[in-house]
Amino acid sequence: MRRLRVLLFKEWRESLRNKMVVFGVVLLPLFLVGISVYMITLGEGIGDPTASIVMFNTSLMYFLLLPTIIPLAIAVYSIVGEKEQTTLEPLLATPISDLELFLGKALASVIPAVVVNWLSFGLFLAATRIVVGAVPLQALTAPWLASIFGLSPLLALFSVGVTMLVSSRASDARAAYQFSSFAILPGLVPLIVYSSKQTLVDLRLVVAEGAVLVVLCAVILYLAIRVFRREQILTRWK
Amino acid sequence: MIQAQGLTRRFGTRLAVDGLDLDVPRGEVFGFLGPNGAGKTTTIRMLAALIAPTSGSAIVAGHRLGEANREIRRRVGVLTETPGLYRRLSARDNLLFFARLYPVREPERQVERYLRLFELWDRRDEPAGSLSKGMRQKLAIARALLHEPEILFLDEPTAGLDPEAAKTVRDLIEALRSKDRTIFLCTHNLDEADRLCDRIGLFRTRMLAVGAPAALKKEMYGRRTVVHLASPSPGIEQALDLPFVTKVERLDDRLIVSLADPDAENPALVRRLVELGAEVRFVNELRVSLEDLYLDLMEGRDAKA
Repeated sequence: MRRLRVLLFKEWRESLRNKMVVFGVVLLPLFLVGISVYMITLGEGIGDPTASIVMFNTSLMYFLLLPTIIPLAIAVYSIVGEKEQTTLEPLLATPISDLELFLGKALASVIPAVVVNWLSFGLFLAATRIVVGAVPLQALTAPWLASIFGLSPLLALFSVGVTMLVSSRASDARAAYQFSSFAILPGLVPLIVYSSKQTLVDLRLVVAEGAVLVVLCAVILYLAIRVFRREQILTRWK
Repeated sequence: MIQAQGLTRRFGTRLAVDGLDLDVPRGEVFGFLGPNGAGKTTTIRMLAALIAPTSGSAIVAGHRLGEANREIRRRVGVLTETPGLYRRLSARDNLLFFARLYPVREPERQVERYLRLFELWDRRDEPAGSLSKGMRQKLAIARALLHEPEILFLDEPTAGLDPEAAKTVRDLIEALRSKDRTIFLCTHNLDEADRLCDRIGLFRTRMLAVGAPAALKKEMYGRRTVVHLASPSPGIEQALDLPFVTKVERLDDRLIVSLADPDAENPALVRRLVELGAEVRFVNELRVSLEDLYLDLMEGRDAKA
């Protein structure tokens, strides 16, 4: 546990010194919050009271995408960065266990992704309330809250699992980033479903997606843990 | 400190290490020499409990490989071929991170001690990526020593260093030897190995020879005396009929005489040559470098021939 904490703090300290990571973790959510509030303002300007509610609904979907996008940057640089700096072998020569190493790398990406997503969501609600008023907030239902608070950790975990698998085979960050991008697909599913139905989310859909994500996460994490064995890292990773 | 029996590692069909037998006692500096791709790094990785052998066994720092790998990793320090430092973290943060992964008491104090020892204290807050190559190598060695390991595996510790930095590293190895640490040194620098190592092992997939550098040279080449003659003195090598002379070769105006004990037998040799009419200019022992030994063994030449 102590070593896991040490690794986590090292990962975050390193990430904070990486401009690409800081951009992905801080600036992108701020940009999305800003653009969402602006779109709701435009909707309100049309004069139709439902327009701002539709824009609000659409904006909420960003908070199902963010938990898949934010960990990409951290996880890619965390693993490919170790390869590029040839730091993996000294790290593996310490008494850290394979599981601690895997969890350290995974949680270093999942925790900020979930926390930043929830903070961004809070900021979005506050900004909407201040700039536009209370009307759009009527669209914020229990299924939406369940989506954003319940699905985000699973979406982040899935994204990190995919990124870890891809990064173990990639030799540069750009390639890892490109190949890991499909990890955002589960975050797009609700966006597509909700948009096509032109309706509010319903709880059954949230539960169904949650169940699918649990299975996907279990498979992806099982594969990632297999890849994260000392022997594999030293002899197979390129 | 390190005992290996039949240690073997295969990667698919490729045999990287073939039946390595090794016994390195506490406090010894053991030089592990061999060409690139000989399997030296694989051997270090096996002995440092990083990868498993395909077959064979080893006891490292009192623990059996495969049964107590974590304990082995606690007790050994590894300097990898490249320094492997987190470039964005400061020199101090790099060391602190590793110190906290080991059971090091008072990590801050230990880190300060090693930063001062390697004269990096004044640069402690600079990112490791901004340090010179020599400084990065010193930082990597400090990292390998932080937890006071009983065995230190050093893979090319002076590669790419300027002479001054290389000397600092060599002095450090000497200092560690006096502290009873066991050092397993992989190097291509044969002069360094000759000077630093108590024993060396010449390795290419399997161990070709093991021993103290001087003993290996003696074993491989015997001891030979070179007699420099003032004039050619033709036929004198055939006339040299002393019982302790095992072989005589001529090279221009020099005779290369193989003897069992030159210290005792040289006076009689010179006396006999003078009796045979030779004009002896001077006599010296034929020096064989570790490089000669290395090249002969690696190329599979019979050195005595």
